[in-house]
Amino acid sequence: MTTPRSILDITDLRKDYVTGDTVAQVLKGLSFSVYAGEFLALLGPSGSGKSTLLSILGTLLRPTSGSMRMLGQELSTATDAELTNFRSRNIGFVFQYHHLLPDFSALENVAFPASAVMGRETDAVLLRAAQLLDRVGLRDRMHYKATKLSGGQKQRVAIARALMMNPALVLADEPTGNLDRENAEHVMALLARINAESGTTFLISTHDPDIAARCHRRLTVIDGRLAGIETSSGPDDAGHRPMLAAE
Amino acid sequence: MPFRLKIATRYLLSNRAQSVLLLTGVAIGVLVFCFMSALINGLTQYQITQTVGAIPHLTFEPREREPRVISGDKATMVLPAVVNGNLQRTQIRSWQSLMDSLSADPAVRVAVPIVSGNALLTRGQAVGSVAITGVKPEQLSDIADIAPNIIAGTAELDLDGILIGARLAKNLSVSVGQPVVMRSDRGRERTVKVRGIFRLGIESLDERVAYMNFKAARALLDLENGVSRVEVKLFDLYAAPPMSEVYGAATGLKVTSWIEKNRRLFDAIQGQGTTGTLIKVFSIVTIVIGVASALLLTTMRRRAEIGIMRSMGVSKEFITTVFVAQGVLIGLAGATLGAGLGYSACWALAEFAKRADGRALLTIDVAGGNYAYGIALATFASALAAILPARAAAKIDPLEAISQ
Ligand SMILES: Nc1ncnc2c1ncn2[C@@H]1O[C@H](COP(=O)(O)OP(=O)(O)O)[C@@H](O)[C@H]1O
Ligand SMILES: [Mg+2]
Repeated sequence: MTTPRSILDITDLRKDYVTGDTVAQVLKGLSFSVYAGEFLALLGPSGSGKSTLLSILGTLLRPTSGSMRMLGQELSTATDAELTNFRSRNIGFVFQYHHLLPDFSALENVAFPASAVMGRETDAVLLRAAQLLDRVGLRDRMHYKATKLSGGQKQRVAIARALMMNPALVLADEPTGNLDRENAEHVMALLARINAESGTTFLISTHDPDIAARCHRRLTVIDGRLAGIETSSGPDDAGHRPMLAAE
Repeated sequence: MPFRLKIATRYLLSNRAQSVLLLTGVAIGVLVFCFMSALINGLTQYQITQTVGAIPHLTFEPREREPRVISGDKATMVLPAVVNGNLQRTQIRSWQSLMDSLSADPAVRVAVPIVSGNALLTRGQAVGSVAITGVKPEQLSDIADIAPNIIAGTAELDLDGILIGARLAKNLSVSVGQPVVMRSDRGRERTVKVRGIFRLGIESLDERVAYMNFKAARALLDLENGVSRVEVKLFDLYAAPPMSEVYGAATGLKVTSWIEKNRRLFDAIQGQGTTGTLIKVFSIVTIVIGVASALLLTTMRRRAEIGIMRSMGVSKEFITTVFVAQGVLIGLAGATLGAGLGYSACWALAEFAKRADGRALLTIDVAGGNYAYGIALATFASALAAILPARAAAKIDPLEAISQ
């Protein structure tokens, strides 16, 4: 068996929040890797630093110390402009709240990351956005204003948008946190299917054990430290095996 | 359409109430700007034509005489004296050659040689002092519009006739056809008839000036060869100051432009120009404040959206352009609307707001509204006003905005 290709390696990652003269150590030295094609869960109680970690991995927040290499590039020393550019091409976000642009249609929202990079909404961009909407089951809602969609639909549009640039890593911070049981199930199934079909790498934070059970590796963060890495076993595992280094 | 422009348009359209208010604000600013320009330009033109209509653009006169030593009767007695007009009339002797060069100058519309002097005009018991202006009959109306402003009699200047202003006629209670006695300051006397009475609406002319036939005036004023001055009208009245210098140097005569003679008018025009500029500046400042504050509100309201765009890897420069584009669009649309309204208002006022006698109520120069300039300036000002909100938007920390 070929060794899985790591797309992200972090080493001794720390984050202190400084508020006034109090310093809160939120991440206290994390080291792990994420492999191409993985469907990875980030577990931990509320306040344990999951969102902070995802923000750092998504280059929205700088670590206090430690190294972070992604796709062969050291990001802890990159400039803001370099990070913006890197983020645009390689990272997709799904947040707890959908954060769709309310004045734009579902299609325009999905196309947005590519339209912004291209400088205009090209036919190719809109075609890809339409395909992604089809994949998340919203083909018939393409031209709906974002505000006219239901909560679950909005979150699926947000997922399609996160996939628009075909990112190496999709970071999902409690993507089902705002949804009811049924919609949460639907969204998780969707993420798992996308991972299985296209090999997109996902890192999903959650404190829902059912959701975590769908993932084949689980990182647990407690009090800013990595408390364990657990790999799924069983018949279900085959489908969620980390993809080998192949695009 | 460029994507940034699309977002800017979408933002403006999605917030219709704010955009309409903003548009109206910019439009009113530009309306005021254009209206003030048209009004002040019109006023200036009116004042200039009123003044310059009746006066020469350039006046050629002999220089003041240098003190000259003249020998008295006794060889031993030396008497220094300034020879002034009472002793020896100042005159331009070589006026014919001056006339030749003036009529060859393409910038000159007309050149009028004039003999002038003071006289007392007597009619029975009434005596009035007048300034005689002797002109060739065919040139009577070349400087001041005498002929069209004759209110009684004719504008014909025969050798025995004079034309006087309405005020003078009233003061002396003379009417057309009556004889009056003129006694010049050279001591010559002559009886002439009033041929016509004019009213120019300019007090100094209506009360003081008597127009006489050139030849008759020469005899009366003892100016056999020379003339007192040459008055010139130019095609471009603003060419007067430089031409006065050139001709002054070339002829050795004292050449005065109309501007020098009307300093106060010019100061007044400049004053109202400054007032106009001030009003225009304020209208632009209002636009800047309005656009800046409205876009700043948009920035605040759209914090989360801007944050999410940044998290998707949209650059700061992209966000900046989206907001500056909103300023430009608002500025351009509002200013075009305002300039259009301004033009319509000026046109309507010039067309319909008239006095009973048919003259315009307001001196509006419809073409002088600086419309294109107003549009360009307001658009530029709006773009400038958008820079502060745009920078604020670009500075939004995505994480902070998203986690709100
Ligand atoms: N911007 C911040 N400034 C200061 N403290 C923060 C900030 N963001 C998060 N924290 C603190 O860091 C800790 C971890 O928060 P977070 O990463 O949101 O945890 P989780 O997502 O696991 O609930 C919490 O105690 C939180 O109060
Ligand atoms: Mg969290």
